[in-house]
Amino acid sequence: MLFGSKNKNKFAGGGLVLFSAVDEAIAAEKVLKAEDYEVKLVAPPPRLRKGCDLALEINLVEAAGVERLFQQKKARFVEILPLKGAGELLDVVKIKDFDNACMVKAGNMKLTFDKKTGVILNISGGGCPDIPFLHISMLDKKLTEVSRPKENGYTLCALMLDRAFTEALEIFSRGGS
Amino acid sequence: MLLICGTVPWTDLPITRGEAKFEGDNLLIENTETPCTQGTAALVSAACVTARHFKNSPPHVILVGDNGNGKGSRLLYDYLIKNLPAISPDILLMHYILPVMGLMKKVCEAAAKCKNKPIMIADASSMYAAKAAGLAPFFDIFTPDLCEMAFLADPDAIHPAYISHHLFSAEIARAQELITAAYRQKSAAKTLIVKGAIDHIVQNGKIIFTLSEPDIPALEAIGGTGDTISGMVGSFIDAGFSHHAAAVAALKANRRAGEYAQASPATKIRQIIAAIPKILNHN
Repeated sequence: MLFGSKNKNKFAGGGLVLFSAVDEAIAAEKVLKAEDYEVKLVAPPPRLRKGCDLALEINLVEAAGVERLFQQKKARFVEILPLKGAGELLDVVKIKDFDNACMVKAGNMKLTFDKKTGVILNISGGGCPDIPFLHISMLDKKLTEVSRPKENGYTLCALMLDRAFTEALEIFSRGGS
Repeated sequence: MLLICGTVPWTDLPITRGEAKFEGDNLLIENTETPCTQGTAALVSAACVTARHFKNSPPHVILVGDNGNGKGSRLLYDYLIKNLPAISPDILLMHYILPVMGLMKKVCEAAAKCKNKPIMIADASSMYAAKAAGLAPFFDIFTPDLCEMAFLADPDAIHPAYISHHLFSAEIARAQELITAAYRQKSAAKTLIVKGAIDHIVQNGKIIFTLSEPDIPALEAIGGTGDTISGMVGSFIDAGFSHHAAAVAALKANRRAGEYAQASPATKIRQIIAAIPKILNHN
């Protein structure tokens, strides 16, 4: 029954935006729909409720773009959460040393930089379509001279790359170790 | 026919369909030049050089520009939903695209309407969407890395950014545990090609092949080295290899291409792709 759902056109995005008041939820829905985001007003499950009885279901993968748009349009919200599973973004960072280079791994994203110069040598991992875009805009530039990935990315992969980037910047500022 | 679908990071590129050629450092899709960077461009490039080795037709591609805002991805989903049954490829390899569960489901429904169901391969975000939408069993091959393997093993995660910490920490020591969990909850394709310091080929839940030599740690840092494996797998299958033989050949060729290119963390993916024909010619 892979394709057997009765509600063929029912939107399921897996992410929830919580608000403290109903008017905030309605305003946020307008902001997102104006930018062609697929959203749905829903009642949040009791375990996730943190304010009002209305929430917005979004495609969780688009969380970075949604949050940036809310900030640009001054739309108020409490939190963006997954509907199921781990409530927080993966925050485990691993480091791999390559003599002159350092690879920082955050979730499915890896950023490798030259320890002496801070130049970004490679970005690997991930799968969302903003990653090749961020890859070409950051590659061969210094960590200290590029924008944070979450300022230009739209997806959860961009948020994980942002986590790797901030850690890399910190390591580089300590002298690469 | 091998059909590869995905996005490239040039927002002004409309839906572009045609045969792909890899010349110098660039991809040419119906005379549109696309630099060979990490992502679908690298995958297509690797598929091209592999097809050329076998004197096969170049892969057929459908590409669209998308910087991550999803607009191009939605055009690609719509195009596939409308046109896939008429195209009826032998192999459908889906790659970078904004994961949208409902639209991926419709693409799979369209694939089911093809004259013969294509061999379905998914990598990167297409794999995320297929797993999150409960469509993994419809696919023949997934090509996860170890973090993505943990994502397949997590029953609730719809993206690797939200996997449980204990699964992310499992990594290679518990590869079999992750694989068993993924198959138990029907989150795995029939064949998994798990890329890592030790590569694993898994069929129906059992590890049937592992590879760790030549050991080139820098390959993990180079953006696109997973994409090249997926592209080669598609072309090997198009050349008549079994799924298992294609996986073995692609994993071996990728490592040897890294060795030939003397890969360092600063090596670019186009250098690895340029080495692939030399490796294939020596085997």
